[in-house]
Amino acid sequence: MAANFWTSSHYKQLLDTEEVDVVHPLDKERGMTLEDFKLIKLHMANYIARLAQNVKVRQRVVATAITYMRRVYVRRSMTEYDPRLVAPTCLYLASKAEESTVQARLLVFYIKKLYSDEKYRFEIKEILEMEMKILEALNYYLVVFHPYRALSQLLQDAGMNDATQPTWGLVNDTYKMDLILIHPPHLIALACIYIASVQKDKENTAWFEELRVDMNVVKNIAMEILDFYDSHKLITDDRVNAAMNKLAR
Amino acid sequence: MMAAAANFQLNVEESRAWGSRSIECFEKLEQIGEGTYGQVYMARDKKTGEIVALKKIRMDNEKEGFPITAIREIKILKKLQHENVITLKEIVTSHDSNKYKGNIYMVFEYMDHDLTGLADRPGLRFTIPQIKCYMKQLLTGLHYCHVNQVLHRDIKGSNLLIDNEGNLKLADFGLARSFSSDHNANLTNRVITLWYRPPELLLGATKYGPAVDMWSVGCIFAELLYGKPILPGKNEPEQLNKIFELCGTPDELTWPGVSKIPWYNKFKPVRQMKKRIRELFRHFDRHALDLLEKMLVLDPAQRISAKDALDAEYFWTDPLPCDPKSLPKYEASHEFQTKKKRQQQRQNEEMAKRQKLQHPQQHARLPPIQQTGQPHPPHWNGHPMNNSQPPLPSHHQYGKPPGGPSRYPPDGNTSGYYQDRGGYNNTGPYPTQGRGGQPYPGNSAPSNAPRGATSGYGAPPNYSQGPYGPSGSRSQNSSGGNRNQQYGWQQ
Repeated sequence: MAANFWTSSHYKQLLDTEEVDVVHPLDKERGMTLEDFKLIKLHMANYIARLAQNVKVRQRVVATAITYMRRVYVRRSMTEYDPRLVAPTCLYLASKAEESTVQARLLVFYIKKLYSDEKYRFEIKEILEMEMKILEALNYYLVVFHPYRALSQLLQDAGMNDATQPTWGLVNDTYKMDLILIHPPHLIALACIYIASVQKDKENTAWFEELRVDMNVVKNIAMEILDFYDSHKLITDDRVNAAMNKLAR
Repeated sequence: MMAAAANFQLNVEESRAWGSRSIECFEKLEQIGEGTYGQVYMARDKKTGEIVALKKIRMDNEKEGFPITAIREIKILKKLQHENVITLKEIVTSHDSNKYKGNIYMVFEYMDHDLTGLADRPGLRFTIPQIKCYMKQLLTGLHYCHVNQVLHRDIKGSNLLIDNEGNLKLADFGLARSFSSDHNANLTNRVITLWYRPPELLLGATKYGPAVDMWSVGCIFAELLYGKPILPGKNEPEQLNKIFELCGTPDELTWPGVSKIPWYNKFKPVRQMKKRIRELFRHFDRHALDLLEKMLVLDPAQRISAKDALDAEYFWTDPLPCDPKSLPKYEASHEFQTKKKRQQQRQNEEMAKRQKLQHPQQHARLPPIQQTGQPHPPHWNGHPMNNSQPPLPSHHQYGKPPGGPSRYPPDGNTSGYYQDRGGYNNTGPYPTQGRGGQPYPGNSAPSNAPRGATSGYGAPPNYSQGPYGPSGSRSQNSSGGNRNQQYGWQQ
């Protein structure tokens, strides 16, 4: 009984796409569509990443923070939990959980620097209060497994160390989607390796087959990622703003 | 832990909001502890009737929100699922109506005792198979932690909980931390209760690993055999000095790199001392001594690991560690509420002791229960090893005063746990070894005690007041007992 992914709360909490893609009734009342919902989460994932660059924390903290944020909105409405507060608070909490603590006042400072928009301004006190709410919304499940570790092991095993950079980038991009809530991290890593293999014309079907994983799932994840890249091209600031405008405040 | 997981599943189904449950789901029964972290309560789950322990999370640093120490503890406990590690069942909150500032409680499985409380129990003496059984479980649990890259950093008797099935579990991960195996991160050296703190931390090391816990295990192991803490320093310099008096002074030869540890020059021993473990603990059996010596190695790099300790001859030679289930069941050790009753009982016991000393032969066997009319029957209604007793209802002792003799039918005593003690005259605090071993030095034979003279090793153990010495206490700092002194370690 090792403390591995398969015994973790993360594994037990994996969800179906249908469970993740649910707009909270309160948000629906405000006219929020599923598309808006996804856009806002994407926008917030980007926000967390930008903020993290400024306060200088590792990618792992970013990934954990985004996962927290996405988990929160499986259960809570954006109406009650303002994403503009939830996002930095998730980064704050993730920095503690990943042993790279960032002071709340530093976070507040950089938020001000990044956004002149009043709607993004929050005080330390508000972040600390939201932290408690988020902890509760997460039911104190703070451990998140990420594809990164599996990725480097798998790349090595596949003899694809040269593909570290592009696949790492692909994995980073998967946090712009809800994949981490739905699939085990090693399958996400495999899907990224699969995409990289196809792009590089590297023939490693045999390697994939030997892994004894369900290649259908891997290919489906890969398709989702590619679909996301396609639709991502069509996202404009206007669309994001329109979605954000449906939020309160 | 599967049960806990199931509980969480239930939570998901029952509360649509998916948040944590409210403290209202529990009925607080009594306070059972008061640690550095806050209060611990025994409570009953109103729905299931299950008895649990509630540990309040102290929100002391309001500037930085939810304490990172609590986050660590929660993360670590949710990660570790092992029979020798305490199970965190869930976390519940209480809401203040006006503001979002309630209390947060961690809900643990309830354990009846802790090792210190049990060891301090008046008159109670562990058997060798029992000590081996506890040590084995301690090492198994710790090995699991270390394999999962968790340092406990506060191993001591009061953090080793024991239930009435004889299971030992590591608890209080409030100081625990994940570590990476390369030991590259700088960690604080202000951890581990002073008496159990290893030399490298006292010398200011900030890069360290699982060996710190193994030092503490060595201290506990020796304490179990010796009958009292072996290194009771009053402050850090004295602690280090006591360690050097026992283990000898380190140099670059015995501990390569020691002179580069931050405070080595500050605490450098003035004079050379040689290792005296074997001399001071010469009455321990050979295998115990071998193992202890490997645990109390000054150089952490040479200190035995939990895994290797489990392979030690000690655990594989007669008498073998016993099955936890064969261990006697003891009345719950929580003293918080029953303190007064116990003081009363102690007085009575003192009287009984005096009587006994006058007529030692009367007690070649255990005093029957009927002799004490106190509300709390003392420990000696021991269970037979054959486990023929009906299992003790796990929470029966909390609601009402523990029952009388009927709870522990005395009839089984003939084949019982105490039989191998070699008679009551061997009033050493620890059992004789059942196989012709020498009795451990105790109050009745101080002349047998190892003479450590200056270092205090020669003093008879705690039990100088006899087997009915002051009863120990759980985590609260009893004014009389010195065992549970909390030291001002901060995170």
